[in-house]
Amino acid sequence: MSNASRSKALQSVGMVLGLAVIAWLFYMPVHGNKAEVTTWTLLLTSVALAVNWNLTGGFTGYVDFGHAVWFGIGGYVSMILITPRSSLQAGWVPENWPIWPSIILGALAAGLVANIVGRFTLKLSGAYFSIAMLGFFVFMREVVRVSKPITNGGTSLDVNNLEIIGSANYWYYIQLSLVIALVAFSWWLRRTRFGSSLVAIREDEIGAEMRGINTTRNKVWVFTFSAFSTGLFGGMVSFQGSSIEPDTAFIEVRTIDAVMGSMLGGLGSVMGPVLGMTVLYLLRNVLWANLLDYHLLAQGVLLASIVLFLPKGIIGLFGGQTGNIRKMLGMSEREGSRTSTFDGMESSFDEDGNIREGARTTRLASEAEVEVPGI
Amino acid sequence: MNAFLQALINGITIGGQYTLLVLGFSIIWGVLGVINFAHGEFVMLGAYGAWYANKEWDIEPLLSAVPIFFIMFGVGFVLQKVLVNRIIDRDHLVSLLVMFSVSIILANSVKLIFDADNRRTGTNLKGPLDITDAISIPKKQIVVLLVGLFVLLALSTFLQRTRLGKSIRAAAQNREAAKIVGIDIQWVYAFTFALCIAITAVAGAVSSPLVNTQPFMGPPLTLYAFVITALAGLGSIKGAFGGAMLLGVMQSMFTQYIDGIGSNLGIIASFGLLVVMLIVRPQGLFGGLAPVDAGGH
Repeated sequence: MSNASRSKALQSVGMVLGLAVIAWLFYMPVHGNKAEVTTWTLLLTSVALAVNWNLTGGFTGYVDFGHAVWFGIGGYVSMILITPRSSLQAGWVPENWPIWPSIILGALAAGLVANIVGRFTLKLSGAYFSIAMLGFFVFMREVVRVSKPITNGGTSLDVNNLEIIGSANYWYYIQLSLVIALVAFSWWLRRTRFGSSLVAIREDEIGAEMRGINTTRNKVWVFTFSAFSTGLFGGMVSFQGSSIEPDTAFIEVRTIDAVMGSMLGGLGSVMGPVLGMTVLYLLRNVLWANLLDYHLLAQGVLLASIVLFLPKGIIGLFGGQTGNIRKMLGMSEREGSRTSTFDGMESSFDEDGNIREGARTTRLASEAEVEVPGI
Repeated sequence: MNAFLQALINGITIGGQYTLLVLGFSIIWGVLGVINFAHGEFVMLGAYGAWYANKEWDIEPLLSAVPIFFIMFGVGFVLQKVLVNRIIDRDHLVSLLVMFSVSIILANSVKLIFDADNRRTGTNLKGPLDITDAISIPKKQIVVLLVGLFVLLALSTFLQRTRLGKSIRAAAQNREAAKIVGIDIQWVYAFTFALCIAITAVAGAVSSPLVNTQPFMGPPLTLYAFVITALAGLGSIKGAFGGAMLLGVMQSMFTQYIDGIGSNLGIIASFGLLVVMLIVRPQGLFGGLAPVDAGGH
């Protein structure tokens, strides 16, 4: 069987399985108890964050190490809108905002901040972007702690009127629908010209720029969307818990989970983050639940093993393409080639003068479109 | 005026602590090109070593720092050979994630062995040293500052004067050329990593009487190492000192002059500075072994 037809067959199997899972997920709350529904809602949130993170981290290769900041901003802005408690807010924030406008405004705020910050930080390459975003994350957490009149400082900001919070099933169905929509969106995005340009940025940014792609604009917009969407979940999760505080809203674990889920499933593929996050979650709750104290240790070992031995993730095991991850992770790249500025030309050859593996770096955006990504 | 001088002196002693903290991180990054995300965990290991030695055998942290140096040198050497060597030529993302896993593993292993309680290492150096009536420095702070300055001088002499030190600098400047002139690059890498881990553990050991030791103290320290390295320029010893002092004095001034939220503002300023420095002046304020190539690809 040729590679193409095998991947076609795998895709249809995946499609059927996916539909079955979706059907089951919609049916589940009918007989499931409240605790189960809540657990699944938590998983859906993690999956959504992994999918969002993958849009920048996986597609464009810009690894956001402070992704949880968007969750925190979305959560805080929406909670501030709905719980006016100080004289400062009473002036300009009308009381008893309905829940959804405040969630959406929170998400928009996250998107706006990402748009502004991204314009500067997305100019940095590789690790420096990651560090800058991590720095921004810590920065924002402290800003929230300090802005006591607005955010109530380090203590929690609570919803006064608990009646406005919907039931567990309500949030479950909303999050489930949103996650499906998000996955569909990233599947669609990957197939558009815009999505291809993102992958072109990952593969060879200078080459893409030379072909006339406005790389900065595209990076900034996908970053903005991913922050917006994570902010949306930040708002929703805060309302479900009916309170928010800096240590739960701005928590590194959310970023770590998103990164790990995406890496485990397959960085840069559409289904990778969903698959990876689910496996990670099941591992944690089923297998490691008995290990108690050891589970974080196991997680560390797992992460190192994925990065070192399974760079294409679970999707990669099934032959799905995740883009030229090997190149992205610099595995086929020899030292020294980083110094040449015209990647597309000079570094196509290694020190011995042989053409390097994956040297076809100046690929057109339209050419990248031909490449069918993982299921 | 006294308040200002006191804040300045406090800042300088904090700066000494930061200097000790950042040297290893900055040099590993500059020479090996690996971002040691587990940096803070090695500080933590050193601090636990000093705490244990003090509790069991009543040894001063300043003395136990010596065996800790050699033990952690060995640990660093083995770690470099077994793990870090595999990721050295790969992308920053890979080294970042692998070292991040190491940090999770170390922190949680220590938590399993010693539980997560806060611990403070005992010391016989108690009380302050009075400079004037109004200005004084705690003696244990002075020790950290002096050790910091000593390591700084020893390290820069080593890098400037000895053959091995020159090899390390050569490897940082141009890996290929260093290989061509016959430098055993593998040995240089292993030695550099081991030395830096040892210094980092010493930083943890000598400052353990000042701060609480617990398994999860590492990540914030790693972040501070980032901030100072961004200020200083990669692998620059002078820069590390300058950046550490700048950060220490800045934080101390915030704490002195702004009530209540001063220390939070110090953190805000530090990390705001990190982001701004990366964007505006990626080579750092003081130049270094190698420029931080933040804009390039």
